[in-house]
Amino acid sequence: MNRRIVLALALATTALVSLPAIAQKSGGTLVQITQPEPPNLAPYISTSAPIGQVTAKVFDGLLEYGFDLKPKPSLAESFEVAPDGKAVTFKLRKDVKFHDGKPFTSEDVQFTIMEVLKKNHPRGIATFRDVTAVETPDAHTAIFRLAIPAPYILKALSSYESPMLPKHVYGQGDIKTHANANTPIGSGPFKFGEWRRGEFVRLDKNPSYWRAGLPYLDRIVVRFIADASTRTAVLEKGEAHVAGLGAVPYNDAKKLALRPNIEVSTKGTEMISPIVELLFNTKQAPFDNPKVRQAISYAVDRKFAIENVWFGFGKPAMGIISSNFQPSGLFAPGIDFTVADRIERANKLLDEAGFPRKADGTRFEFTHDITPYGEEWQRFGETVQQNLAQIGVKATLRYEDLPKWLKRTYTDYDFAITSNFLFNLADPVLGVHRGVHSDRIRPGTVFVNGSRWSSPETDALMDKAAVETNDATRGKLYAEFVQRVSEASPVAYVLEVQFPTVINKQFKNVIDTPLGIYGNFATVHRE
Amino acid sequence: MKKFWSRFLGNPRVYLGLIWLGLLLLVAISANVLAPTDPFAIVGKPMAPPGGEFWLGTDSLGRNVLAGLIHGSRATILIAVLATLFAVAFGTFIGAVAGYYGGLIDNVLMRFTEFFQTIPSFLFAIVLIAILSPSALNLVVAIATVSWPPIARVVRGEVLTVKSREFVQAAVVAGQGDAAILLKQVLPNTLSPLIVTGSLLIATAILVESALSFLGLGAPNLMSWGFMIGAGRSFMREAWWLVTVPGIAILLTVLAINLVGEGLNDALNPRLADL
Repeated sequence: MNRRIVLALALATTALVSLPAIAQKSGGTLVQITQPEPPNLAPYISTSAPIGQVTAKVFDGLLEYGFDLKPKPSLAESFEVAPDGKAVTFKLRKDVKFHDGKPFTSEDVQFTIMEVLKKNHPRGIATFRDVTAVETPDAHTAIFRLAIPAPYILKALSSYESPMLPKHVYGQGDIKTHANANTPIGSGPFKFGEWRRGEFVRLDKNPSYWRAGLPYLDRIVVRFIADASTRTAVLEKGEAHVAGLGAVPYNDAKKLALRPNIEVSTKGTEMISPIVELLFNTKQAPFDNPKVRQAISYAVDRKFAIENVWFGFGKPAMGIISSNFQPSGLFAPGIDFTVADRIERANKLLDEAGFPRKADGTRFEFTHDITPYGEEWQRFGETVQQNLAQIGVKATLRYEDLPKWLKRTYTDYDFAITSNFLFNLADPVLGVHRGVHSDRIRPGTVFVNGSRWSSPETDALMDKAAVETNDATRGKLYAEFVQRVSEASPVAYVLEVQFPTVINKQFKNVIDTPLGIYGNFATVHRE
Repeated sequence: MKKFWSRFLGNPRVYLGLIWLGLLLLVAISANVLAPTDPFAIVGKPMAPPGGEFWLGTDSLGRNVLAGLIHGSRATILIAVLATLFAVAFGTFIGAVAGYYGGLIDNVLMRFTEFFQTIPSFLFAIVLIAILSPSALNLVVAIATVSWPPIARVVRGEVLTVKSREFVQAAVVAGQGDAAILLKQVLPNTLSPLIVTGSLLIATAILVESALSFLGLGAPNLMSWGFMIGAGRSFMREAWWLVTVPGIAILLTVLAINLVGEGLNDALNPRLADL
């Protein structure tokens, strides 16, 4: 009996398509609002947020994912992981054609992974680091060879994260300045139609899409509207139908949810899992003391921030790993910083740490840097400032532009506490490890370990979890990891943002993947 | 001089302006008495409408709008007056030197002034704040930097006319040095247009400060009227008072300064006023 892990997904494809027994009505134009306008349509070299909202509909990935983050078939009908974890064999569909009529083959997979994503994609460089080769024994089989087991790769093969490119198009010329960077050609449910700068991108139905009968929509128009209140008004009037990921201010989303024609969904961020945090400079007094860091974490009123700054679109973070990993068994809570007596605990910790209240009631002062991502971050900074005043800690706020803030936080380490916004992404290896691993303390690299805290124990736990293929075992490793991190609290994990997606109720099935608005919209239909 | 005061105070619009400005000054000076708590303190339920426990309501985080207005008057006035003083000092210096010496110096200084004048002043202020990073001091610097060129122009023009008068020539003959002539003979005679331009500049400075704060480029630890409007603009539809209250305060203050400035102008240039 060999112990090969076989995940046959073959027949699931047809099951997926035929799930709704009644035929859906075809036709209609869906207007999506994306903010800001994407700089280009080249998701293989840039992870800029608006790009994927357009291109995930044009390209396909090898796999798609359910809300439990388990893989579903897409361009790959099935895959099989070798017993030692060092090879993954993908069986590809035979009936897939790119928008220019040429067939999709294993050559395209090899080209996309090895030549494009591994070399150019900001996250792909890390994700596919251990892929040594992609072998193509025949036109419809692709074998990933790995230096060490890298199970997280199987979470990073969606049309958003790793779009499959036609080699005969993107293989010509320099990929970084490719002629098709603004006129993408993929195999997805929608073909690129037109991009009128400053106004819209039009995507047309791909009539020869490999999923029979799909897509239902004739057209997707992605509009770019610079003014926030105009975006809200357009959605309110039904002139646009879908908007998410910051296109609608949180308080407007809350208001729009009350209208009869509009639904506001908080699903669709399960593979993004953004966490609002306070990053401590652990190499500098007073935040070199874990007791002080814990005290700050206790003092932050998470519920107030969620209600009044994020207008209800969030929930308290329970540790370094997002609760979105609960279905896959990788989530575990750390210390509960939301307990009722949190202020007393914070005061006690600060007394113990040697920061008694002075005559004027304060203990110490520091400068709190604000993430320069806009208004809600300023309000969050002001909220934290008031929270900390309660425990006698005086914060002075500083607000700089993005390049300065990034340099201060990740190059010069010239900060005491800064707010921060880090995404857990599809797997802890991709989004979580970078925040606390010792090998990610890299001056000049942004969104890595800026607190500069690490410990041999947590490093070892992460290294083990990265190559472990069994989810239950990984879950146990992560449970211990989360506990250790929350005891050291190099970062105060404040809240998990649940981005609202505003959807006109005429359209159904808009958010049907954990990537939300980064989904391909093949099954969206109008009633 | 007596004539000036009677002209100035005989104007009813000046009275209105002075009353508002006096009131404002009083509020700004006694801010800590009128509203003893930190204006950033979260004191109540967010978005409480005016007329309840808090006379002017609370904002999106539950901060008292009235306390913000009171402390905001202090920040707004302080920044505007300081920026204007710096602009007037620098502008006067450049203008006086250019006008008095003429020739190459005049040419160089005026081209330098034009360089600043050709950049749209508000965009320039935004760029300066982006480079310097927002703080109270940097706001003063940015506003002063974009405001001095008109002052320099006005002073230069006045100095050019005054310079050719007999009493200046007499001072030259008497052997007075350049600095003494400029300070004692020329500049005192350029004061009236300078006072008028300077007073109106305060109004512009308030507007620039408010606009910068509105864009989120204000000093993050300073409660100002512009900050209040900027923080409240997203809630215009459900909490009208967040923008309306500080908006009216800015409107009235700028109006008052303009009334007083025009009154000064009428009183100092009686011939113009009679036209």
